[in-house]
Amino acid sequence: MASLSPSLKKNVLRHESLLLLVLLLEFAFLCLYARNFGTPDNLSNVVRHSAEIGLLALAMMPVILTGGIDLSVGSLMGLCAVLFGVLTHDYHLATLPAAAVTLAAGLFAGGFNAFLITALRLPPLIVTLGTYSLFRGLAEAITQGTKTYRAFDPAFLSLGETRWFGVPLQAWILTAAAASFYLLVHRSTFGRSFRAIGFSPEGARYAGLSVQSRTALPYLLTGLVAALAALLFTARLRQARADAGTGYELCAITAVVLGGTSIFGGVGTLPGTLAGIAAIAVLTNGIGRVPAVFKAGIGGELASLLTGALLLVALAGPELARVLSTRSAKISPSPKTL
Amino acid sequence: MRQPLLRLSQITKSFGAVRALKGVSFELHPGEVHALLGENGAGKSTLIKVITGAHQPDGGTLEIGGTTVSNLTPTRARKLGIACIYQQPALFPDLSVSENIGLRLEGGAFFAKVHWKQRRKNADALLARIGAALDPETPVRSLSMPEQQLVEIACALGSGAKTVIMDEPTASLTQVEQELLFGVVRDLRASGAGVVYISHRLEEIFALADRVTVLRDGQSISTRAVRSELGAMELTEEELISLMVGREVASIYPHRGGSPGETVLELENVCCAAGGIANISLAVRAGEILGLAGLVGAGRTELARVLFGITPADSGTIRLLGRNVQVRSPQQAVSLGIGYVPEDRRRHGVILPMPIAENMSMAVHPKLFPGKWLRFEAERALGLRFIEELGIKAYGPEAPGGSLSGGNQQKVSLARWLATEPRLLILDDPTQGVDVGAKSEIHRIIRDLAAKGLAVLMISSDLPEVLGMSDRIAVMRGGRLVETFEGSTATAQRVMSAALRPS
Repeated sequence: MASLSPSLKKNVLRHESLLLLVLLLEFAFLCLYARNFGTPDNLSNVVRHSAEIGLLALAMMPVILTGGIDLSVGSLMGLCAVLFGVLTHDYHLATLPAAAVTLAAGLFAGGFNAFLITALRLPPLIVTLGTYSLFRGLAEAITQGTKTYRAFDPAFLSLGETRWFGVPLQAWILTAAAASFYLLVHRSTFGRSFRAIGFSPEGARYAGLSVQSRTALPYLLTGLVAALAALLFTARLRQARADAGTGYELCAITAVVLGGTSIFGGVGTLPGTLAGIAAIAVLTNGIGRVPAVFKAGIGGELASLLTGALLLVALAGPELARVLSTRSAKISPSPKTL
Repeated sequence: MRQPLLRLSQITKSFGAVRALKGVSFELHPGEVHALLGENGAGKSTLIKVITGAHQPDGGTLEIGGTTVSNLTPTRARKLGIACIYQQPALFPDLSVSENIGLRLEGGAFFAKVHWKQRRKNADALLARIGAALDPETPVRSLSMPEQQLVEIACALGSGAKTVIMDEPTASLTQVEQELLFGVVRDLRASGAGVVYISHRLEEIFALADRVTVLRDGQSISTRAVRSELGAMELTEEELISLMVGREVASIYPHRGGSPGETVLELENVCCAAGGIANISLAVRAGEILGLAGLVGAGRTELARVLFGITPADSGTIRLLGRNVQVRSPQQAVSLGIGYVPEDRRRHGVILPMPIAENMSMAVHPKLFPGKWLRFEAERALGLRFIEELGIKAYGPEAPGGSLSGGNQQKVSLARWLATEPRLLILDDPTQGVDVGAKSEIHRIIRDLAAKGLAVLMISSDLPEVLGMSDRIAVMRGGRLVETFEGSTATAQRVMSAALRPS
C-alpha cells in the first residue's frame, strides 16, 4: 500500500473495501441459505476447485499492472497438461522429471510471448491472442483432439486430495504464490517498475528503467504458473486432455479486474486480486447449492451471470459516482491516470 | 468605432492547481492584425483554446461579434466565423487536399451526394487565392508541413471566417513561403477580417501587426499600437521584450561561476540519421553551462536523445571524462553518469500519477534498493531531502506528481537526476511552461549545480535564458552545429541570426 499515491489510494481502497463488503455479504448469504455451503469440507472444495484459476489470476495481476494482458494462459494450461501426459505415457518419464520439463516448457512459452511483446514491440493483446490459438492448437494436434491420458502415478494423483494439517494442498500452494506475488508487486523494485511502465512506458524509459526486461518478466511468470496450474489440474481431475483450462484466461482476468486492477495499467493491489478470486470462487461454488426459489428459474448459468454483473457494477459504480459528483459540483476531472 | 469581432475581458482558467489564465482582456477589430506575444507558458495556447471553444473559461466574459457567448464549443465557434490555424496542421493524412477542404467546408447530411467536380473546383479556387501551387488531388501525407499549413489556411478562407487565429504559422516555413503567408494575412486584413497572429519572431510582428498584446504569467500586461496613425513606429523591440519578461533581462539571471574544469563530454562528428543530426562536435567542461540554442526542430532535442541513449548515435565519437563510450540505452547513460531532464515533462519527465518520492528514486533503484527490495524509509528520506533542497511545494513525498504545478514538477524531474549524482546533466527547455518565480529558482539551482562542478548542457528555446545562463552558447540549425559563442560575446542578435540564417 505504501507504494500508492494518496489520491489513488483513496479510490483503490474504496474499491477494495467495497469488494470485501460484497464478499462478506455473499458469504453470509450463502452460509444462511445454501445447502452445506459453510461446512469445512465444502470450503476446502471451494479452494481446491479455484486453485488453478486463482494461480492464473495471481500471475495475471502483474501483467495487467504493466498495462499488458495474457490471453494465452488457459491454452497454455492445456498444452502443458498434454505435454505432461505425453512425457509420462509415451516417453515413460518419472513424474518429477516430467513435471520439471513441463514447468520449463511453460516458462519457455511465456518467454515466447515476452519475446514477441518486448523485442518485436507487438501489442500484448494480439500476441497472446495468437498464442492463445497456437498453444491450444498444438495441444489438440498432439492428442488428435481425442486422446486422454489417464495412467498417472498414484502418488501424483493423490496430490489432488492431499491435505496438510487438514488444509488442502492447493490452499498451501495458493497462499505461497499469493505471498510471493505480493512481495514481487508491493515490496520489490520489480513491482515498482511494473507500475511505472503501466502508467507510462515512455516515462519509465526516460527514467532509465530497463523497460524491456521488466515488461518481459510477468509474461515469463504467467507461463510458469500456467504449467503449475496444469499439473494441479491434471492431478485433481486424474486425467490430462487438450481442453484443460479452456476459458480460464478470462476468469483470471475477471478476478484481477474485479479486484481493482486497472486494465490500463499502473493501478492495482494484490490483496484486491485475492478478494476478486475469492468473490468468484465463492459465487461459483455457492450458487449451485442455493434453493431454486432464489434462482428465478435460471440454473447453473446463474454463476456466470452474477459474476458478469458483479464485474460491471464494480467497474461502473465508482465511475458513475465520479461522473455524477463532477456534474453536480463542477469539479475539474481528476488528473488522467488511466 | 466599429463593433469588435472579439472581445475578451478578465478571462480566467485553471487546470487543477495551475492557473493558466489569471485575467486576460483582449480585443480584435475587423481589418486588424493583432499580435499576441508572450514567453512560452504565458498562456497563449490556453487563450486560443478559449477563443476556439476547446476550453471553457472559469471566469470573465467572451463576446463574439458583440454578443456575449457562454458554453462555446468548437463547432459553434466555427459557425460564428472563428478559424484557427495551428502549428501542427490537423488534416487527414490519407485523404487528398480537396477532400480535406471539402470535409471542413461542406455541410454533411445523411445520404448526401458528393459533388466531386464542385469540390475540386472549390479547392482549386481557394488554393489559387492564397497563391499555393498545390494539386488538390495530392494526398495530404505527401505534403510538407508548410504545404499542409497552406491547406489549413485555404480552409479558413473558404469558411469565410471573420476571425482567423494563426498560432506560430511561420515556425516551419521557408523564406518564400513566409512571404506568401504574409501576403495572405494582408489580404485577409484588407477584406475586413481580423487576424490574431501569434509568433515569437519580433520582426514578423513589426512587419505585420497593427497592435500587439503582451501576455505574461496568464495576464494581459499591455496592448500597444505598433504604428501611429501616420505610420511611424511606436514601439521598440526592447520595449516589447521588457514587457514580455517584466524585468530587465540582465538582472534576473544569477552570476556566472568561476573558470571551468576538466572536459566532461566531448563529441566528435556524432551522427544519427534517425534523429536527423549530423557531424556534431562539441565539448562541455565541468562547472560550465553550455547553452544549446536553435529553432524548434533544429535537432537539439534529438542530440540530447542521442546522448541519453534513446536514439543511439550511428557514427562519431562520444568521450566522457576522456574515455570513449557507447551510449546505447538510457540505463547505460545513467550508469555513465549522464542525467537528462526531458523536454516533455508531463510525458517523460515525471510519471504524474506516482508519488514524487517514487519519481525521484526511479533512476537510483540499484543504489537506493541494492537487494531489489524497496526501502520505504530511505525513499521517503530522499523525497524529503529534495523537497527541502529544491524548495518543492508539495504536501509531502507521497503527493502524486500530477498534483504539483508545472515548475514544481520540473523540480521533481530535476531531483530524479540529481539523486543519481551525475557528471553531465542535460536539461531540455528546463523552464518551459514554468511560472516566473519557479523559473528563477530553477535558474539558481542550475547555476549552483554548475558551481559545484557539474557539466551542464542546457537546451533552451528561450533566448534571454540562453544568453543569461550560458557560459558558452552553441547554435544548431537543420541538424548541425553551426556556431559557438563565448557567453560574453553572444548577443540575441548574433545567436538568432546564426539560428535563422538559411544555409
